[in-house]
Amino acid sequence: MALPLPPGLVPTEVAFLCEMEMVTIIPRQRLESISLLSGQIPTLRPPHRAQLPLWLALLLKKQRRANIVPPSWLHPASLSEIIHHEINIDPEGFSPPPPPVTRSDGRGMARPYGDSKPGDMVLSPPFLPSCAADAPSSYLPYHWLELSETLLAHASDDIHGAAEVRTLLRDLQEVRAAKMRGSTTQLEGGGGVVGLRGVGAMELAESRGFVLGVVEGVRKLGASAEATRREEEEARSEGGEESDEDMAFG
Amino acid sequence: MYGDLGNKLVQYAKRTQSLGFLPPYQTETVRGVTREVRDLDKDIAQRLEPFGGSFNPQADQATACTLLVNHLSIRRNKRCLLAYHKSRTDKLEELAWKGFDVVDLAGQQVASGNAGSNLGSADGGSSSLSPQEEDYIRQYSDLLAAYKGQWTDIDLTGSLEPPRDLFIDVRALKDAGEIQTEYGAITLTKNSQFYVRQGDVERLIAQGYLQKLG
Amino acid sequence: MSYYDLDVILTDSEKVPCKFELEVPDLGYLDNNPSQPLKAGTSVNLPLWLAELLALTHQSSTPFLTLSLPPALGDNVLNALKADPRAVPLRDQSQNFYGLGARMLDLFEEPELGVVLRRSFVVRAGEVALHGRKAGATGDAGSAEDFMRGLEEWEKKLYRQAHEGAKGHKEWMDGVKK
Repeated sequence: MALPLPPGLVPTEVAFLCEMEMVTIIPRQRLESISLLSGQIPTLRPPHRAQLPLWLALLLKKQRRANIVPPSWLHPASLSEIIHHEINIDPEGFSPPPPPVTRSDGRGMARPYGDSKPGDMVLSPPFLPSCAADAPSSYLPYHWLELSETLLAHASDDIHGAAEVRTLLRDLQEVRAAKMRGSTTQLEGGGGVVGLRGVGAMELAESRGFVLGVVEGVRKLGASAEATRREEEEARSEGGEESDEDMAFG
Repeated sequence: MYGDLGNKLVQYAKRTQSLGFLPPYQTETVRGVTREVRDLDKDIAQRLEPFGGSFNPQADQATACTLLVNHLSIRRNKRCLLAYHKSRTDKLEELAWKGFDVVDLAGQQVASGNAGSNLGSADGGSSSLSPQEEDYIRQYSDLLAAYKGQWTDIDLTGSLEPPRDLFIDVRALKDAGEIQTEYGAITLTKNSQFYVRQGDVERLIAQGYLQKLG
Repeated sequence: MSYYDLDVILTDSEKVPCKFELEVPDLGYLDNNPSQPLKAGTSVNLPLWLAELLALTHQSSTPFLTLSLPPALGDNVLNALKADPRAVPLRDQSQNFYGLGARMLDLFEEPELGVVLRRSFVVRAGEVALHGRKAGATGDAGSAEDFMRGLEEWEKKLYRQAHEGAKGHKEWMDGVKK
């Protein structure tokens, strides 16, 4: 009642978070460096490329002060390859996510991005550089859907082969949405796990309610079977270790 | 059969869940259920009386069974009553958070129910809410207002949509008086257009005074 | 909290067949015979909220009554579900079909019933997701309507969630162009 939204993020919120992703732009005007909460914006000196958060890039694009460089995965060839993977190579799961980003440390070794000393925090989207121009192609990053739709809407002239990209994206969405719907059929065992590696943020936001509903329903229908199974297990491991009785099943 | 009236209440409650407003309070049905509970209670007392406090269920299974049936019926009625009332108060709280006015909630008729609408027709003073519910929602709204009042920069009951643009074009649909912005006060006369900060005018858009353009 | 959950309360009002094990003079009204005593061995249909506790409470070794599976979960329904879960209008059997099934699974040791119910739920859920996404744009409009009309309460909630998700997505897609 105070919070009428369902658990998890809603599509508009996902899109809002996506706007924190860094993208590459080509400025058309000089702009001094600005100090923002997310970090210092580099001084913009055309025609040198720079990396900015998406929201700022969109603002500058709207004011015609910059052009956006689409990430390398947002290209007809890359998208075709990904679709081929989704349909032919792995019809069950989603195409793999981009490999963890590494940076060389100048001593011939590669370290995880953002890891200045071992044990530092592990970064996740939107703090990974997966939407800049130098992002690996043929992989869909976490915010692929909302980023590509936003760029197509506001910067389609900057995208190579925009019309073809639009069609390919539509196909990609359909294929993956069908997989999302089909993923719940693996749950009937009442203890099944659904593999969602490689799924995107918007796809999660759209199907979260439904998938959780199915999981909940199967759990309720299997609850008593689960209880008897646990009792049998306990009886078998007589007087052994503590059972997970405080692991609440809801 | 005992519990049927209670069931009816729960079905009313279920139908209410999908509505945007509260239908009238089922005073008669509620009275019927409470009457049933009192009758059942009297029946139990009567049955137990001859035993004088030392009833042995083992000895008289038939009476034990009857007592249990009555008791279960009472519990069932209680559950139906509580669920009915809770579903209504939940709805009232939801409407309060959405920004509906307390007066609108009490006086609404079945036909109306939109945000910021005028009072329903003064139809013999029949309210959708029971007197207790009216009192409840009045106190809840006061509580909510007191809670919100602690923060002047944030409207806790405001829009939950993430902002798209910082500044937006708006047109005034009716005279909306004067508002304060960081650039000074602006007077909102009907059909005038302004380029203002979204946060300043969000509430007015929600209430229908301004229209967002483009 | 399931105490206040309206669907759980309504599921509890579903009737199941019961057989009384003893004679009770004053409960004749349960069998629509208020002036008669309720004889041992009489079969009546009682709501779950009454039947369950009467079946579980017993002072000596015999409970007050024994209950059995309702006709909604009978063999003919289960066989139809085993053949094709999507073709069975569950709502006609019971508005709270799965809720009722879950309660029966709690009371009876019926692993096969559990298997059939889970499988039907998951298969039908997949169908619900399809309708939620397309929301009316399917080519086979006739059978889609029949299927949707046959949904019981749990499935209707799933449909609402699938539909809300798809709607949110579409609204955002339309809004992104602005």
